[in-house]
Amino acid sequence: MCIVVGMATAELVLGLLADGPAHGYDVKRGHDTWFPDSRPLAFGQVYTTLARLARDGLAEVVDKGSEGGPERTVYAITGKGRQHLTDWLTDPVQPAWGSADEMLRKLVAAVRTGSDATGFLAKQRASHLRRIRELTANPADDDPTSPLVRDYLVAHLDADLRWLDNALERLTEQKESRR
Amino acid sequence: MSALDLRQIKYAYRRNLALGGVSLSVQPGEVVAITGASGCGKTTLLHCAAGILQPQSGTVSVGGQDLSLLSEKDRSKYRRSLIGVVLQFGQLVPDLSLADNVALPLLLDGHERNAARAAALEWLDKVGVADEADAVPAELSAGQTQRAAAARALVTGPAVVLADEPTGSLDSRAGQELLDVLLKATRDRGAALVMVTHDNVLAAVADREIRLRDGVIQHEVTLS
Repeated sequence: MCIVVGMATAELVLGLLADGPAHGYDVKRGHDTWFPDSRPLAFGQVYTTLARLARDGLAEVVDKGSEGGPERTVYAITGKGRQHLTDWLTDPVQPAWGSADEMLRKLVAAVRTGSDATGFLAKQRASHLRRIRELTANPADDDPTSPLVRDYLVAHLDADLRWLDNALERLTEQKESRR
Repeated sequence: MSALDLRQIKYAYRRNLALGGVSLSVQPGEVVAITGASGCGKTTLLHCAAGILQPQSGTVSVGGQDLSLLSEKDRSKYRRSLIGVVLQFGQLVPDLSLADNVALPLLLDGHERNAARAAALEWLDKVGVADEADAVPAELSAGQTQRAAAARALVTGPAVVLADEPTGSLDSRAGQELLDVLLKATRDRGAALVMVTHDNVLAAVADREIRLRDGVIQHEVTLS
């Protein structure tokens, strides 16, 4: 199984900094632990993402290390970065083509950082139901392919919803077993 | 005034608590989907609302009338005229024709036979199975019997239609057609429609989703 890395990598890196300052190697290792079945995060992407987060004020350099190279530079999440992360973890993903990857990323990051994962799932579920409602409210256009496209989208949203339901059930059971 | 008002409904099968105090108000013209995993209590809730089960505590009000305050006879009459029920497999009377099945609630309410049959034929026409009016359920497809079940639920002009997995026994096209019939009939009359379903695509047509877990409301979202 391979999950394409790209979308939302910056937010994931912020999530990996949420527990405390880390250097690039820790971030990469943390990412690969969160997503063990996905393509490993490349070092180059880690460093460019950290530099971009620092440029935008979402992370800051707190230690350059004795040798000063990029691999020894330690980054910390800023207050602005924490707010950005919280907003990202709370907002449902716009249900569209390819949105499943970002939902999974958010869910993993929400669980790992102790954010309100079940709240996110409930919002995402509502967002998906609304999208199905929009898609099915009117008959598809009367051409050869519009009904096919709509059926495809609805079937994928339905599959996402089943996964969301299972995820909600798992997390609720985990919460109950900890009580 | 709410079309249907459930207050703190509790129900247990022997020692197994199925509903742990569920409250729900449904407005006239509103479509509500009750969802949740198998065993979460959604069918029990619908059966309590329909009067098929008597809750051990809590109240069911239809059109502002608390049904527990009525005599058994008045309660049955009230339910028959104000609540229509569609179950997953139709549950038509096997020995009666579709027309007689649909006319049955009217006959039980004392309507004259010819008028009841005329109303039944009108509803069978609206749901698209008028040609099968004299057939018995065993001669028809699942989709056709479910349409007749919908006609039987609608013929009294109920304020609330309760449907338990109404498309559960149908393929997706027949399910969509039945759903269209139920939505049109309830919206035209301003009746409330409450559907129990595990089908997310069906739930998405609702104005509101109530999700149950272990006999209580887990969450509720407005979709419209």
